Amino acid sequence: MIWLTWRQHRLEGLMTLGVLAVIGVFLLLTGRAMATSFQQLGLSHCLGQTTPPGSPCPDLIMAFGTQYGLLQIFDILLIFLPLLLGALVGAPLIAREVEQHTHLLVWTQSITRLRWLSVKLALVLVAGLLASGALLAVLIWWYSPWAQLDGSFGTNAYDTSGPVWVAETLLSLALGVLAGTLTRRVGPAIFLTIVLVVAIRVPVASLWRPNFEAPITQTTPIGQVNTTQSTVSTQDWIVSQGYIDAQGNKHDGLVGCTSNQTSVHCFQANGALALFVSYQPADRFWTFQWIETGIYVGFSVLALFAAFWLVRRLN
Amino acid sequence: MSNALKTTRLGKRYGHTWALQDCSLALPAGRVAALVGPNGAGKTTLLQLSVGLLEPTAGEVQVFGVSPLRQPKEALPRLGFVAQDTPLYKSFSVAELLTLGRKLNPGFDDALARARIKMLGIPLERRAGKLSGGQQAQVALVLALAKRPDLLLLDEPLSSLDPLARREFLRTLMDAVAESGLTVLLSSHIIGDLERVCDYLIILSASYVQLAGDMQEIQRTHKRLIGPRQDEAAVASVHTVIEARHTDRQTTLLVRTNGPLFAPSWEVQDVSLEDMVLAYLSQQTRDRVPAQPSAREQNGREVLK
Repeated sequence: MIWLTWRQHRLEGLMTLGVLAVIGVFLLLTGRAMATSFQQLGLSHCLGQTTPPGSPCPDLIMAFGTQYGLLQIFDILLIFLPLLLGALVGAPLIAREVEQHTHLLVWTQSITRLRWLSVKLALVLVAGLLASGALLAVLIWWYSPWAQLDGSFGTNAYDTSGPVWVAETLLSLALGVLAGTLTRRVGPAIFLTIVLVVAIRVPVASLWRPNFEAPITQTTPIGQVNTTQSTVSTQDWIVSQGYIDAQGNKHDGLVGCTSNQTSVHCFQANGALALFVSYQPADRFWTFQWIETGIYVGFSVLALFAAFWLVRRLN
Repeated sequence: MSNALKTTRLGKRYGHTWALQDCSLALPAGRVAALVGPNGAGKTTLLQLSVGLLEPTAGEVQVFGVSPLRQPKEALPRLGFVAQDTPLYKSFSVAELLTLGRKLNPGFDDALARARIKMLGIPLERRAGKLSGGQQAQVALVLALAKRPDLLLLDEPLSSLDPLARREFLRTLMDAVAESGLTVLLSSHIIGDLERVCDYLIILSASYVQLAGDMQEIQRTHKRLIGPRQDEAAVASVHTVIEARHTDRQTTLLVRTNGPLFAPSWEVQDVSLEDMVLAYLSQQTRDRVPAQPSAREQNGREVLK
């Protein structure tokens, strides 16, 4: 069965390795350049909470951003890799067998259907997790200059900076397999995989993640805005910010302010009594990573159970 | 003699439609059985139930006394199955397909498989997708045979083959039967080919078993009676009339005899397998007329006893 799994998936495996190699080379080259610039610009001295007046740090950070900002877009593209793996490897895993009727051949050999699925899934999942783990290690190193400046919390880099990345790979593969057993055809399975992954990941990331733990809220009365030191660091994840009106309601931002108004006038025009900022402090990063990892692993286990149940009953 | 395959009131329903219903039959070990019936009669369903690919909706199926679905570890090594249109992994070479057989079956006879492939003149390194339809069917058969099964189930293996490939396929099959004495259940709607190779006959029609039994016995007990136009009631009181045709002057009956045939006013002829099968299949259609709704079922049960 190990041989058969290898024989059936070796092309996919080699293609994955090829893609990883290309991405890896790109990351190594750009990563080295970024690390060198980071050192040459002396940005390690600019990581403190405050920058004294006349410090060159804002300009240096700006220069670094101008040079390497585009690479952050690359990080967004990487988020689609697990989805791609789920759609191209997970979805056809069972769907292609049923579509081409080869399940009738392989399920009537001497091994049971459940053993067939167990071995096949175990090997493909382990290979997928190893590949995503290896890429994760390179990604963490590659992103470290940005991580020191901005942190990885609340940015696109959140997905590529911890175990969530590996869990997303597992989830995509598991949902792909489930989609394949549901549709029994490769085309619809790929489509359903994408739908399922989006249906789980988008709500978890945008609705659940900001509330894994209650955010810390700092409120500053209008009169003390210019004298109060913000407790929020650049590494923290600002979940929401705005002003509080006389009724105590929170509003996302100021409206209708013009440039010739002073900020106090603008606050008053909006009826703002105080400013607030809600944020997740940077030291919660790993807690959040593991919570989200747990959620995705949970969904993956459910999807795999469902797939096993369906395959057992598949006619 | 023990039974290779035994079904008891076996049924399979898809939604509201019964693909197979109330199917009770026993296939003695060592037989080469033909499973005939029109398309959609339930042949594939019966075969897939027998090999554990489907779960019965009603009744049960046993191969060598075990359920193929609930005890697959016991049943699967004893079963060989060639599905309709002989699916193979198209990107695998023939040699790789044999490796598949070897890896997935502890009792796989690699030497036998290689010898047969060589005898058939199929190149080992050729991809399955590049083989002709006949060669693909042959490779699928060799894979199933090298598993050294005790019961081989073949689903319409001949339908996509030309006459020459059909003959070669049956030759490979009969060689294996002669060597190992395995039991075979072969579904087909090409009746002519089966007469030469099968010694047991099962007629399936519209999800019911119409007839099942020893081929020679069936051929011996089925006769065509031709005589002057008359009512078949006298014959029907002793024997079972499968089909009756009347012209202005002549009556032709196809009967299953239930004992010695004493019919001085009739000319008695042997019936070809094909004619007999067709008679059963058309009888089924006639029985759908509400006037005699239970005749079909009675027939089926009677035959099975």
